[in-house]
Amino acid sequence: MSTLRTSRSARVGQYLALLAYLVFLAFPFLWLISTAFKPAPELGSLHPTWIPRDPTLANFRQAFDEQPLLQAAGNSLLAALSAALIAVLIATPMAYVMARHRGRLSTAATGWVVISQAFPFVLVIIPLFLVLKNLHLINSLFGLVMVYVVWSLPFALWMLVGYVRAVPAELEEAAAVDGAGRLRTLVSVTAPLLAPGIVATALFAFITAWNEFFFALVLLKTPEKQTLPVVLTHFLGAEGVADLGPLAAAAFLATIPSLVIFAIIQKRITGGMLAGAVKS
Amino acid sequence: MRGRVFTAAAAALALLLTGCSSDGDEADDGKIRLRFQSLAWQQDSVEANKELVAEWNAAHPDIQVDYVQGSWDSVHDQLLTSFEGGEAPDIIHDASDDLADFAYGGYLADLTTLLPARLKADIPARSWRTTTFGQGIYGVPFLQEPRVIMANKKILESSGVRIPTPERPWSWEEFRQVTKELTATMGKGGYAIAWPLKEPVSVSLNLGLSAGGQLFHRGADGKVTVRFTEADGIVPGTVHDQVNTDLSASRSTLGTGGSDALPGFFGGKYAMVPLGFSYRQQITQQAPKGFEWTVLPAPAGKEGLAQGVSPQTLSIAEDSPYKKEAARFLDFFLQPRNMVRLARGDWMLPTGTAALADPSLRTAKDGWATGAAVAQQLRSAPAQSVRGYPEWKDKVATPAFQEYYSGAIDADELRRRLVEDGNLVLARYQRD
Repeated sequence: MSTLRTSRSARVGQYLALLAYLVFLAFPFLWLISTAFKPAPELGSLHPTWIPRDPTLANFRQAFDEQPLLQAAGNSLLAALSAALIAVLIATPMAYVMARHRGRLSTAATGWVVISQAFPFVLVIIPLFLVLKNLHLINSLFGLVMVYVVWSLPFALWMLVGYVRAVPAELEEAAAVDGAGRLRTLVSVTAPLLAPGIVATALFAFITAWNEFFFALVLLKTPEKQTLPVVLTHFLGAEGVADLGPLAAAAFLATIPSLVIFAIIQKRITGGMLAGAVKS
Repeated sequence: MRGRVFTAAAAALALLLTGCSSDGDEADDGKIRLRFQSLAWQQDSVEANKELVAEWNAAHPDIQVDYVQGSWDSVHDQLLTSFEGGEAPDIIHDASDDLADFAYGGYLADLTTLLPARLKADIPARSWRTTTFGQGIYGVPFLQEPRVIMANKKILESSGVRIPTPERPWSWEEFRQVTKELTATMGKGGYAIAWPLKEPVSVSLNLGLSAGGQLFHRGADGKVTVRFTEADGIVPGTVHDQVNTDLSASRSTLGTGGSDALPGFFGGKYAMVPLGFSYRQQITQQAPKGFEWTVLPAPAGKEGLAQGVSPQTLSIAEDSPYKKEAARFLDFFLQPRNMVRLARGDWMLPTGTAALADPSLRTAKDGWATGAAVAQQLRSAPAQSVRGYPEWKDKVATPAFQEYYSGAIDADELRRRLVEDGNLVLARYQRD
């Protein structure tokens, strides 16, 4: 009984801690929403409120009037989806080989993955710019996607290697014993078990590309090609001065696709992770 | 399911490969095309820029200007990459304190012989000095903003203190005394002044010119060293004493930006806030109904109302094949009537003397007249052309000033750090 009471109080404590953590995480986003609907005088109030006293859509109207947000969102979506797709298509077979055939090459590849994470983008941007210029891929969304793929590939690989290793090799051996060929084993046994990992990796690559600012700023020249993070900075002036209301409205809209995609995919990730974990 | 995924993948790739490849070079239609990257960001300012470009294009069918929207955020890195890659815009909007590396690096065209005499004569020599590096001129300074004091009119008038004008400004001593008296009338929790000093170095150095401060001294050999004289200590000392001795300045705003201090200003917690001239736009937008405010000149010292500024600039890329055409566009863009439109759009002051004389910039409404009166005294920011200044600022001066203003270190330690540590940094940039 005593154990049960301790357990219940511990559970309450856990929930409280979880709630506090959620509030901590959600605070900036909720404040962003609140700001997006506030008229200019409320943004300068000494005693700001969570719920706007005089809610308005004026910030959204101004944001859409001043900047091509829909076009930029379309560019971002195209770049991020393509980058995620290509990164996963390349990383999955590579990760399988690295996880299943451990040797010097695999070790070297893992080392390369770790080292590549250490390079700041300011170090690579000029050489990268010159390479893309020679390939006539400056001011091209395709060029930008290639950069995003290369940029997210090491970490995607790192993630997927872990997922492949988590799939017991014995399952593939058992399939082979049952007469399945190599391709059949990969498609029917390994791939379904890897699905959550692939989805998580794609999500990571998508969000990385969706939020990326600097490569897009440098590589895209014409307004009709610019992505959302670049367009958002047009609401910022020198020395950090900002057109706060429209910026908050545009930033709020910019977070929606990430949230929607994450909400859809999250179920598949957890569902896939738990599948087969417990014998029925 | 798998089939659908692959179909989607193929569709996305096809879209990318067919629809989004590079435009490549412009078609050769015999027209000269200039790319103008503007950093204008406020709605009125963007409109003014676009209108002027449209007017130029209509009048010059053979020289077309493409307006490209840039961003103040990361502009230095973006331009550096573009210069290195040979893809820089022909006409570049920036600020004079960002030009030194580009000018010395050979990325910007020397405008000395490109600009028309009209434009050279219209902008005063003190403004040209902000864009002169070595023997060359690498940008046209066209908009500038002094630091002024935004004041709550009711609090100020009811306190009975003398209200300063550009003709009879406060001295730094009088300013300190006024803030003490004002704080006493404001009751608990009120402060006469809030210094938003997120960027303490530029504020301290630029305002320091009024008291005769200079800090950076160029020797006969062309090398720059830091010296901290009594005059250099007047402005920092005033701020320090207001925060730590008189308690007439809010401590909590020391680490904040200008926008963060505005709610307290509107709420009557702070009677005055020193801010850049263009903050007036935010005040007009955000101030509650009935809030009365006024613009006061910053205090004066032995150098009068002198202040350092880093004007916004327009430059031409050295790699541009159409420098003369770009210079013609600048001449049009910076005609006095156009400079007025740009200044009003950005809530700043034009550098051109003809534009500055425009009646719309001399009105008392929204403090334009105070700014225009101060404009005569604006000079090149002290650190403008000092190589190694960014590192000195980030690694030495910013933490030193922050600690000094918060009371963590005294004036001697501030002086030691700025001079001894600072000269070590500058020396690395000035080796033969």
